[in-house]
Amino acid sequence: MLLIHCPYCEEDRPEVEFVYGGEAHIARPLDPATLSDEEWEHYLYIRRNPRGRHHERWRHTHGCGRFFNAVRDTVSDRFEQTYKAGEPRK
Amino acid sequence: MSDVLAIPALAVAGTDLALEAQAVTASGVALTLEAPASRWSLRARTAQALSGVIGRAVPARIGETLDGIACLGPDEWLADLPAGTALPDGAGQPVSVVDISARGVVIRVEGAGAATVLSSGCPLDLDRFAVGRATRTVFETVEVILWRESATVFRVFVWRSFAPWLWHALKAAERG
Amino acid sequence: MSGYRLPAGGRVNRAAPLDFTFDGRAHSGFAGDSLASALVASGQMLFGRSFKYHRPRGILGMGTEEPNALVTVDRGGAGPGWGRRTPNLRAPSVPLYQGLTAQSQNRYPSLKFDLGAVNDRLGAFFPAGFYNKTFMWPRSAWEKLYEPAIRRMAGLGASPTERDPDHYDATYAHCEVLVVGGGLAGIDAALAAAADGGRVILIDEQDELGGGALSDQALWGEVADKTMALRRLGNVMVLTRTTAFGYYHQNFVGAVEQLTDHLAPAQASGARERLWRIRAGEVILAQGAIERPLVFDGNDVPGVMLSSAGRALAVRYGVAVGRAVAVMAVHDSGWRDALALKAAGVNVVAVIDLRGEVAADLVAAVRGAGIAVHLGHAVTQVAGRHGVSGVTFAPGGTGQGQQLAVDALLMAGGWTPTVHLWSHAKGSLRWDDTWGAYLPDVAQENCRAVGAGAGAWDMGAGLALGTLPGPKPIWQTKAFVDFQNDVKARDIDLAVREGMRSIEHIKRYTTNGMATDQGKTSNLNGLQIASGSLSKPVTDIGLTTFRPPYTPQTFGALMGHHKDALFQPIRKTVIDGWADARGAVFENVAQWRRARYFPQGGEDMHAAVARECLAVRQQVGMFDASTLGKIEVVGPDAAEFLNRMYTNPWKALAPGRCRYGLLLREDGFITDDGVSARLAPDRFHLTTTTGGAARVLAMMEDYLQTEWSDLDVWLTSTTEQWAVIAVQGPLARAVIAPLVEGIDLAPGAFPHMAIREGTICGVPTRLFRVSFTGELGYEVNVPAEHGRMVWEAIHASGQAHGITPYGTETMHVLRAEKGYVIVGQDTDGTLTPDDAGMAWAVGTKKPDFVGKRSLARPDMSAPGRKQLVGLLTEDPQEVLEEGAQIVADPDQPVPMTMLGHVTSSYHSATLGRSIAMAVIADGRARDGQVIHVPMPGRTIRARVSASTVFYDPQGSRLDV
Ligand SMILES: [Zn+2]
Repeated sequence: MLLIHCPYCEEDRPEVEFVYGGEAHIARPLDPATLSDEEWEHYLYIRRNPRGRHHERWRHTHGCGRFFNAVRDTVSDRFEQTYKAGEPRK
Repeated sequence: MSDVLAIPALAVAGTDLALEAQAVTASGVALTLEAPASRWSLRARTAQALSGVIGRAVPARIGETLDGIACLGPDEWLADLPAGTALPDGAGQPVSVVDISARGVVIRVEGAGAATVLSSGCPLDLDRFAVGRATRTVFETVEVILWRESATVFRVFVWRSFAPWLWHALKAAERG
Repeated sequence: MSGYRLPAGGRVNRAAPLDFTFDGRAHSGFAGDSLASALVASGQMLFGRSFKYHRPRGILGMGTEEPNALVTVDRGGAGPGWGRRTPNLRAPSVPLYQGLTAQSQNRYPSLKFDLGAVNDRLGAFFPAGFYNKTFMWPRSAWEKLYEPAIRRMAGLGASPTERDPDHYDATYAHCEVLVVGGGLAGIDAALAAAADGGRVILIDEQDELGGGALSDQALWGEVADKTMALRRLGNVMVLTRTTAFGYYHQNFVGAVEQLTDHLAPAQASGARERLWRIRAGEVILAQGAIERPLVFDGNDVPGVMLSSAGRALAVRYGVAVGRAVAVMAVHDSGWRDALALKAAGVNVVAVIDLRGEVAADLVAAVRGAGIAVHLGHAVTQVAGRHGVSGVTFAPGGTGQGQQLAVDALLMAGGWTPTVHLWSHAKGSLRWDDTWGAYLPDVAQENCRAVGAGAGAWDMGAGLALGTLPGPKPIWQTKAFVDFQNDVKARDIDLAVREGMRSIEHIKRYTTNGMATDQGKTSNLNGLQIASGSLSKPVTDIGLTTFRPPYTPQTFGALMGHHKDALFQPIRKTVIDGWADARGAVFENVAQWRRARYFPQGGEDMHAAVARECLAVRQQVGMFDASTLGKIEVVGPDAAEFLNRMYTNPWKALAPGRCRYGLLLREDGFITDDGVSARLAPDRFHLTTTTGGAARVLAMMEDYLQTEWSDLDVWLTSTTEQWAVIAVQGPLARAVIAPLVEGIDLAPGAFPHMAIREGTICGVPTRLFRVSFTGELGYEVNVPAEHGRMVWEAIHASGQAHGITPYGTETMHVLRAEKGYVIVGQDTDGTLTPDDAGMAWAVGTKKPDFVGKRSLARPDMSAPGRKQLVGLLTEDPQEVLEEGAQIVADPDQPVPMTMLGHVTSSYHSATLGRSIAMAVIADGRARDGQVIHVPMPGRTIRARVSASTVFYDPQGSRLDV
């Protein structure tokens, strides 16, 4: 079980308190109606799925309840860092 | 009635787990079901915004408690106040005041082994969990709020329907 | 003493004899014995039959590494159908207790006479890759002939069929330093760590600390002193009989502590095992090393065993491994063992060593002890089948052989540091020529290895061999590498000749190292043999991956709390006890237990549901709807938020009014629904489906926190704050009227789809006038602590009106008569609002809502989509099966073209016939057409109805 640093609680907490939330920094388009079908498909379904550094969302569901972002290495399963929602991509 | 298989004496018996007023864990730690109280989920962008609406001081740091109010998240507080206490509903204000007095119960875990009993299913390092601190966490698959009242007393807030399972899981804990 | 117990010595308590049985025969041993040592003491050398060839096998080792001596221990039941029978236990690791009952495995009909041993004679037909090759034979032959025969003949112990009466404890623990392994290296590490004042946990799999030192009498005093010192320290926790089975990220270590299996069942109380989930600041691995067998023809005859095993038997247990014992060594430790055995009183007759030169002091000491020394020799043959009767050894393994009359042969093949946990945690390894093994190199966690497991222990010098040299070519030998999976040196050689190059391929082709012992004694020898066959250095062959668990663990231990009544929380409403007392039949919905129907006087479900349905349609019924998910949405932007989440408009909803909300995922498919009320301009009371409560809250939090964090609105789960009592039927108003205060119930003042706050039975209520039945109805929300009282009051008030409690089954029928959808039953995550016939719930004028853009994708309105429609069978008494497939033409050949399937189907007492809903391709366009539902042996005809509403299509019964 991983330890995950919650940027809101400012401490390492056990993984079972968290829920994974998929790739980070995919903002919902402000006006979806203006998107082509291809653009909408890309927003909805297409993900990077990288080998290595991955920006992803987690939620401290059974803690402070906040969504935040993390950089995790998908090979080593190590967290490089976590940061609050709304902060720029690290 | 559902089929209840005969479960031998050693196992936790019966499918009809029920809450009791008091019990002692397998390890000798006392469990008590606390009396109902006035409990509120309080939400606001800042402690000041909330404080201004409810007219009470509230802690600003996650995990801190102050006069019956615990800060659970950057915009979330739990108020645990004497039964009958009312709070302003904050109508029209950028806050959320919701009565959750009936949503759950509080199990009081008391004894020298209280932290150890909770560690049977809670992954936090409770030796290092300061007196006066509160947090939302889990006991196995059940979400709880832990509130450490003293070195030997933890209060465990749990939603009503999960309480019987939690009560009996705590009761079965053999270390503590 | 009879048998092989030495007259004195060992750590057993000779004043405490213990009786036990093995295969029904009575034996006795002493407290402190293991099952293996007690059996050897009574002369039992044959412990089991091997997996594939059914060869007779004795013990190989006296520790965790043991591959052969697997037994089933029966600790008795707790009544019929309950049992404590554990297969595949390693006899050396089973502590002896009074009355222990053990059986050998994998033999038929008896251990001595085993029919399966014919496999051994047919060994030529079971070479490496046998299974892979066999699969290429005619399939019918495999199914009918080979597989049944193999299944009967091969295999280890049988799984228990009885229920396990034991319970299991679990715990988390935290420490600054965790030491795994309680030999002297581990003890020293724990003592040093404790001096820093932090919390230290020391775990060891044996029943006492000491590890290898328990086999060295000179070290007993040191072990005792240091164990005492550890136990005196307040910051050290010592866990014996505890196996660290896995080492995971960030120093998280899983371990299982045996609590009762070492006790006679009558003395055992409490949990059987405890799962430890330990988070450590630093992990120190002191797991020691495991001796390697030597690979030569006949190395598996019972009585041939690891030298360390012979030593443990003699020194720790006071048992002679034989009347006349020889040692075959390529490592100094065998010489030391010979001396230790001799000192313990065992008749060691010879030490044979392949090496031409061995340290002079060892040679002198052994000779001085009266033991013959044969340098430069190797054992070439072992006489005996059920036990050793003699050995042949020859110069260099190939010269003129001499015979030696012995009944036990110890193998000293060198040592393999135990790096399993190190490798679980992705620590790298380096090859060490001195050890002839891999040693820990660079750790990935805050972890270090100490002692023999780190290569930092004086075990002496030796060779690292693949096989002992012998007179026969490898393919004529029965020289075993993996004893548990019956893999021979020639199988590995064959694998190489058949093209396997990587050790991972060789492992899977030969199954070397794939048994329950995970190759603890076979991996290194297998590598060396492959290296020889490939003429490549060992380091070029690779190393197989070590994975948890280090040793097999029980399912019970891994489940911890989650067994029997505590298997998982069963959520009950505050009204559940009332229903239980009334004999309700329950069903599980998500984690909730819900009353399904209330049978009276021997009614079956059909009869009870028919009665309950008619009562609601004609008088009044009451239903526990407390499990509905509830979310309080509060803040100035509450209406704006709901408007973005739901398909329909919310901003204009007046306080005091309710609205049905349909929730889509962003992909446009229905994910939830529910009726919600506006309590105030900035406060809504949402409801969700019972199963969707947590998912919907999480989804809404996601949008709120990450997409629309500018909105001033907050979400609070109030599912369990409110008990909900649905009172439904034409007399509903009359039932609640006497109980309600502060609310005008008159239809004009309180219309359908409205909410009022007031009191009922003197407690606060949020009273919804809503209906999931199509009748006049109310949903009485009261704080949960009052739910039971209000339920009983309504029930009492309703007596005059014939009130009938009903369950989820009746609720389902009533709503189906009205064509109301249940999300998750009539929808399956692929239905749009239009597919479900609910285009009316979509606010087409809204610029955006979750899922709106997806509804505009071409596929979402393409012809051929499955649509929810009604189905009426031609035979009105025929009730279709939910899930049944639907076709247009029942005469087409299989596989038929499926049009869709039945989603809901019931007998409607109100309509006097069956009704159903189904999703069917272009369903609404098939209005009035006959479709067919093929069932085993027959086909059912039914007619499509574009409308799913079977009862009161005008909704006039709601408007009263
Ligand atoms: Zn947090």
